[in-house]
Amino acid sequence: MRKFILRRLLLGVIVLFGVALITFFVARVVPSDPAAKWAGPRATPEQIAKARLELGLDKPLIVQFGKYLVDLVSGNLGYSLRTHRPVTLELMESLPATVELVLISTFAAVFVGIPLGVISAKQKDRLVDHLSRLFSIGVVSLPTFWIGLILQLVFFRMLGLFPMGGQLSTEIKITMEIPRITGFLMLDSLITGNFRIFVDALWHLVLPGITIGLYPVGLVARMTRSALLEILSEDYITAARSYGLKERVVLWSYALKNSIGPTSTVVALSIGYTLVNTFLTESIFTWPGIGSYIATAVIGLDYPAIMGVTIFSAFSYVILNLIADIIIALDPRVRT
Amino acid sequence: MKWLSDYYKTLQPSIREFRLSFYLLNRNALQRISLIVIGLLVLIAIFAPWIAPFPSHAISETNPQDKLLPPSSRYWFGTDELGRDLLSRVIFGTRISLQTALIAVGLALLIGVPLGAIAGGLGGAADEIIMRITDVFLSFPPLLLAIAIAAFLGPSLQNAMLAIAISWWPWYTRIIRGQAVSIRERQFVRAALAIGTPMPRIIFHHILPNTMAPVIVQASMDIGGVILTVAALSFLGLGAQPPTPEWGLLISTSRTYFLNAWWYSTFPGIAIFLTVLVFNLIGDGIREVLDPRTRKF
Amino acid sequence: MAAYFEIKNLSVGFRTFEGIRPVLNIEHLAIERGETYGLVGESGAGKTVLALTILGLLPKPAGIIHSGEIWLDGEDPLKKSEHEMASTYRGKRLAMIFQDPMSTLNPVFTVGQQIARVIEQHQGLKGAACTRRALELLEMVKLSDTQSVLKKYPHELSGGQRQRVIIAIALSCGAEFLIADEPTRNLDVTIQAGVLKLIGELQKELKISVLFIANNVGLVNVFCKNVGILYRGKLVEEGPSSMVTRQPLHPYTETLISAIPRNKSEKLKFASLVIKPEAEKGCPFYSRCPIGEEGCTLREPMLERLDGEHKAACFLAGRR
Repeated sequence: MRKFILRRLLLGVIVLFGVALITFFVARVVPSDPAAKWAGPRATPEQIAKARLELGLDKPLIVQFGKYLVDLVSGNLGYSLRTHRPVTLELMESLPATVELVLISTFAAVFVGIPLGVISAKQKDRLVDHLSRLFSIGVVSLPTFWIGLILQLVFFRMLGLFPMGGQLSTEIKITMEIPRITGFLMLDSLITGNFRIFVDALWHLVLPGITIGLYPVGLVARMTRSALLEILSEDYITAARSYGLKERVVLWSYALKNSIGPTSTVVALSIGYTLVNTFLTESIFTWPGIGSYIATAVIGLDYPAIMGVTIFSAFSYVILNLIADIIIALDPRVRT
Repeated sequence: MKWLSDYYKTLQPSIREFRLSFYLLNRNALQRISLIVIGLLVLIAIFAPWIAPFPSHAISETNPQDKLLPPSSRYWFGTDELGRDLLSRVIFGTRISLQTALIAVGLALLIGVPLGAIAGGLGGAADEIIMRITDVFLSFPPLLLAIAIAAFLGPSLQNAMLAIAISWWPWYTRIIRGQAVSIRERQFVRAALAIGTPMPRIIFHHILPNTMAPVIVQASMDIGGVILTVAALSFLGLGAQPPTPEWGLLISTSRTYFLNAWWYSTFPGIAIFLTVLVFNLIGDGIREVLDPRTRKF
Repeated sequence: MAAYFEIKNLSVGFRTFEGIRPVLNIEHLAIERGETYGLVGESGAGKTVLALTILGLLPKPAGIIHSGEIWLDGEDPLKKSEHEMASTYRGKRLAMIFQDPMSTLNPVFTVGQQIARVIEQHQGLKGAACTRRALELLEMVKLSDTQSVLKKYPHELSGGQRQRVIIAIALSCGAEFLIADEPTRNLDVTIQAGVLKLIGELQKELKISVLFIANNVGLVNVFCKNVGILYRGKLVEEGPSSMVTRQPLHPYTETLISAIPRNKSEKLKFASLVIKPEAEKGCPFYSRCPIGEEGCTLREPMLERLDGEHKAACFLAGRR
């Protein structure tokens, strides 16, 4: 087991290297000149040349890549062309807001999606199954950004129930001091006992939460259902039933344990989709997370920022898959 | 040219199987409806200039005096900020979405399938290298690579298609490779090797046709996802550019106005939803039919 | 007088793409308490379907029971609801030993966990008492080093060991009627004998009734009192095993046994593969029957008592 984890980690490192390589080269295909961007819109040719030297763009590619790798390992993702601040710092600032959304979607995937899939598989071809399948397929066919807009239209414009966007009401942002311990608004406000902020943040979380949570639920429910259907047709399930084991046990213990592999894979996949969906959701709800950060970066063609976010997301995804693979390896068959 | 007709003959069993599955698809009412709707969409896409009431609105003409009108008998879907008929633009959007999806998937197949066949067919070093590259590409969260590539190549619909193709091909390579590996062990391949058939012929004549089925299934299921991706890219400004009436772009532009012009966001979104839905339903149906365990008979 | 276990007029079919395919058509089959009955047939004859039907585990919606009654100790499982079957019938009244021990053991649980689950269900034991009972059962099936077997996963055991575990689990249900569906099919020949011997001994010791399903007549001869030969879902011969194996009446049984014929020329007749065109009605075995005549295609032969308890469904029974 330990050997497996080690081997997988090694593979992960190689993959991360490949990711860095690809991102580096994609960035080099850039049509515009980063040095000019860095120097600013009114830079003189000398300033641009100086910027080029500063950014190390005159060195051969291999050296640039080497420096890039070294920087990566030490957590340096370069400097934003726009703000001249370290990308890593800006990332860390925007991260918690995004993590909130990702957490919501993960919870939804695991605690709503999986049970839905299980029940759907058990009640195959009955009403519950048809409804849940329609729901699943419907939900993954919805563009996330559109759902956000429609929710805003209905619940903000027409019904006035929920705010249009942002993490907090402007009123609160102006009048109150926002606690900033962990960076997680919900946590911080709870810790400091600031109830009003907590409720306000919660209220703002509803619409983005629904927007981000729908897709994972649909995806996970659908995949869990098919994984479970396959398992339920296996001989050992028939055998278990023949021994008179209660159906409840057969389903939630015998069958489910066998589905840990495909289920964790699909949960990891859904989180992967969520990563990009957060970008879209943040854009719609003006949510101050990484997505908004990259949106501004894309518009301003701020390449280090774009690259930084890409690498960061890719790395997180690789680690996520690593965890999923380790969970799969818990299957006793894989261990030997 | 004979090799082309020979090749067609070796594909026959797969084609027959495909035809059978196609027929079986029609058994479920929901599937039948989806199939019909897809047919309708294709027709709309092809005949867009004749179906749309104001075809020129979809291309370049603007009509500022009729801007932001709600749906009426003249403008069924209302108008946008430049007075253009939304219905016509959405209709032309069908054409764009379907075209883009087909090209993107086609490109991805063009890259991914041969790579997978080579990896699976040759094995050894070629296999390792190709699969490691595939792994790296697959380590990116879905869509992220497409966004990054599109961002760096420059925003345009063509670049979006390219970006999607580049981020999608590894899936197909993986599927083909898995199939190829198991086919490689089969008797008829070994027989071909034994009589000295050159490797490329073995790969492309013997192995490839037998591996196509799951990939065709996957590709047809992917069309829905690709349409969504193109829309998402355009929404972010990385795909279609104005004045192209691409659905995602329409929704993105609508953001400025939609609170007071609900039709602007709603109709393109419904178009995306319905299109992706029917493709997903068909994909699901195809999958159910081909998997013997979920067959009802 | 109803026997301990009896099947009457059971007709089962499967829904397929082309319509409903008849799979089983058994007029009568009876097993007394404490007796063993061997059911022999080739692949596809419907043996496993019979087992699943009795247990109420036919795959839905593919399997349909057209008609029939089954009696086990006074109750008809076909008339019970799924809930009743699960809670009062399966395991308690009858248990099954499956064909492929690898696929019928849950791969993600240890042997101990799986046996314990069943023991808990049927005998209400938990913890140490449960473990003790589990070890007892493993010893009963003549497994050595039972402590370590308990902790192992199915894929860590050999084929023979796995099959013994399956038998142990089936026994742990405490049922008095056991269906053994080709339990030695997937084992090496050398292991087969051991497992057969085990089943025979257990049957005598625990005085349980056994329906032993096999595809080989030689196997059932070991400890089965009566034998039934199944061909395409129908019983074509039935009787005490010694009689059926030594003096088969139905040509199909003969081909199964490749009995020693009386003269040399007859040997060739049964050894060759005979294929005649399928008859639309009449005897289902006609197309493969070495002695089939035209008269056989007119009506279907019924199972008739021809020699004491020895029955066969053939117009030319006994003829060589």
